[in-house]
Amino acid sequence: MFHQPILKGDARRITVMQGQARASNEAGLSLTTVLGSCIACCLFDPLAGVGGMNHFLLAEPPQGRGAGELDENYGAYLMEVLINQMLGLGASKGRMKAHLYGGANMHRAMLKIGTINGQFAQSFLERERIPVVHADLGGSVARRVEFLPALGKARCRSVAAEVVAPEPVQRAPRATGDVELF
Amino acid sequence: MQTKVLTVDDSNVMRALLRSALTEKGFEVAQAVDGVDALEWLDANDVDVVITDINMPRMDGFGLIEKLRAHDRHRDRPILVLSTESSDEKKARARAAGATGWIVKPFDAEKLATAVRRVSH
Repeated sequence: MFHQPILKGDARRITVMQGQARASNEAGLSLTTVLGSCIACCLFDPLAGVGGMNHFLLAEPPQGRGAGELDENYGAYLMEVLINQMLGLGASKGRMKAHLYGGANMHRAMLKIGTINGQFAQSFLERERIPVVHADLGGSVARRVEFLPALGKARCRSVAAEVVAPEPVQRAPRATGDVELF
Repeated sequence: MQTKVLTVDDSNVMRALLRSALTEKGFEVAQAVDGVDALEWLDANDVDVVITDINMPRMDGFGLIEKLRAHDRHRDRPILVLSTESSDEKKARARAAGATGWIVKPFDAEKLATAVRRVSH
């Protein structure tokens, strides 16, 4: 699974938890996360030297939607949060390239949540015209991902399932969409 | 008569989600990809409510609101901001520019529809 060298030793590490997005142009900073069914999308603008990672699991479907369908609104939101953070650091959406990780189906009896999440991420990037330069999705094992946002370098390796917290408990909340009229 | 809504967002995925949600709630939906596109469209068309994102290329949501408020035709048109951001500073800037309200993404279709109905009457 190793496809890029990664910083060692004194790199500053930040863990990106589920529901978070983090962008940076800081040399020596490493963004890390552990994934089961969740997806981590790592975006990088090579010209600006800006990158970032998000970590999401799509929410349960809105009422009235069919079984097996998940709410794309939350995934689109976390992708947009990451993109906006990167734009704020001088990145350009037209130059962004993506790495995708996660989407494992950890429990046989459950809906193939990992597969659906991976399909959403790939579809999102295709529709937003952001090329995927590397993807490691699916399977049934957990992954640990490390990403250097200033360099766009990533490393992904398998980890024991016990490392990953039980994900259905962590499923994203439905949208709140708070409204404030002026 | 159907309430007509113009959504302004540079994300293809977000535009598709908004079209689906608003159409399902009974609104007629038109779409623009950024502030410049929205202004061009509004030159030749009319809507009841504008829903705009903030971060967009060419012209962002703040710029769009300011441009619209500078025209008599659009001075009283309801404009809702729909954004991933929710800081008081950004909200105050939108309010000063002339926005009618602020909705935080990820949006809830029911709350979004209620807000559109409320500002369009």
